Amino acid sequence: MRAVYVLGVGAHPWGKFPDKSQLSLAIDALTAALADAGASWGDLQGLVAASSRFEGGMGWGLHANEVLQAVSETGVPAVNVGGGCAAGGIAVHTAASMVASGECEMIAALGAEKMPKGFIPRPPGARDDATDTDYLRWVTMGATNPTYWALEARRRMHEHRTTAETFARASVLMHRNAVKNPLARYRTECSVEDVLASPVVSSPLHLLEICAVSDGSAAVLLGSEAQARRLGVPLIQVAGSAVATGRFGDPAVRIPMVSMNVRDGTQHTSEVGGAVETALEAAGMGTEDVDFLEMADNTAWHVLAWPEHFGFLEPGQADWMIDHDELGIQGKLPINPSGGFLSFGEATTAQGVLQVCELAWQLRRQAHGRQVPEPMVGQSAVLGLGANGASVVLKT
Amino acid sequence: MATVDRVPVAEGIFHRSEDGVVLVGSRCTGCGTHYFPRSPSCRNPACQIKSVEEVALGRSGRLHSYTVQSYQPPDLFPMEPFEPYVIGLVELPEGLRVLGMLTGVDPDDVRIDTPVELTTRTLRTTADGQALVTYAFTPSTEEIDS
Repeated sequence: MRAVYVLGVGAHPWGKFPDKSQLSLAIDALTAALADAGASWGDLQGLVAASSRFEGGMGWGLHANEVLQAVSETGVPAVNVGGGCAAGGIAVHTAASMVASGECEMIAALGAEKMPKGFIPRPPGARDDATDTDYLRWVTMGATNPTYWALEARRRMHEHRTTAETFARASVLMHRNAVKNPLARYRTECSVEDVLASPVVSSPLHLLEICAVSDGSAAVLLGSEAQARRLGVPLIQVAGSAVATGRFGDPAVRIPMVSMNVRDGTQHTSEVGGAVETALEAAGMGTEDVDFLEMADNTAWHVLAWPEHFGFLEPGQADWMIDHDELGIQGKLPINPSGGFLSFGEATTAQGVLQVCELAWQLRRQAHGRQVPEPMVGQSAVLGLGANGASVVLKT
Repeated sequence: MATVDRVPVAEGIFHRSEDGVVLVGSRCTGCGTHYFPRSPSCRNPACQIKSVEEVALGRSGRLHSYTVQSYQPPDLFPMEPFEPYVIGLVELPEGLRVLGMLTGVDPDDVRIDTPVELTTRTLRTTADGQALVTYAFTPSTEEIDS
């Protein structure tokens, strides 16, 4: 297996773009990534797309072949990967593997999504089946996605005495990080009081502690060392990447399940934890080597809980860290210098690709107004519906 | 109440037995793991048998966590009229945690670790006067050894 480098990254700003097609969003992001690398469409030897869930011209969501058909019919391979909201991370891992194996000299991973308004509903087309938990959770109790996160947050308050103010501080931090990020949808600072004054959606979580849904797109161009040197781009290496699924006994209240078998000693959110661990192993690193994280903060609870679940912090330690601003950009373990999902709104399958873009901008010292001081290693972590997880480690 | 027909929101999920309301799940005959709803196989990677049989479960448990829903979920949820309600995560003695609505308790009075038992809750009355019901947990009437 040979080394893989990030040649270029690009993204379309996050927001609501009713007049722009998903395909246009995808093309914009990929065009930006190619321009960032000084490469052209004809240089691409393959394209991996995170299959979107909610829109797409042929009823199957965004596919890489549609993008190639629209812009550059060179005949190169198109690979389309699923995995719910983890699909973006899975796409980057797949593309990296295709370079590492020698199959491609240069390939892109892409995610683009246009989201329906409000609570993410059940995707259309599925049959009403009483053993399908994504049907049951709606019809028997109306369990929205925030329901699941709220159950975790309430339990954390019970176990770790996490306060409403500490959750609010996590949201305040994410919004503060995004103020100078031109790609973020929400770029206004908020206070703990603002967060606590926002409506309670699923107690104990307030509106400003739960990510919105957005439209957005991102692309990452990967290639061999020879390609990186030919293009003269900064040498940012994919030190490790991994995909994982959940382990039996995981206590996570997992969307869209209505029950879980909990076995003592099983890692929480093991699909992401497993990917984080495997990606670090591939990089020959440990959690102590990671200078900052870009992770899925669907809620303020995630900002606190995930670094603990995945071994970056001790259980309960994140409360002290957030209260002392140690998870901030200048802190011991910066979380989501981009502003995270709370400031972007989740464009589901594009999110895992955007995380890797942010890792690259940070490692190149190009994250203006949100730069982590001299980072050498950054790691992403993303979760997808149905126990999919992915993680990417970049190093400079 | 007794004269109103009760219709479950989904078939094959729960039913009323002589012991009260029970959930319909599966139990692996190999490793004994319980599942809800019914499962086509056994997810335990250590189990080589993977043969499941239908089982009644969930008559009682302990509240592990809860949340109050303040906003109306998407259309599939048939509650009418909508009012804020509680969803609980209940630890069952069968070794799994189950999500379900709570009933018979004020949202402000819900406490983690409360013993609960299974019952039903009416979500709405249909046009022909039937009660559309789902399963729900309610604080136990009898003391349960913790």
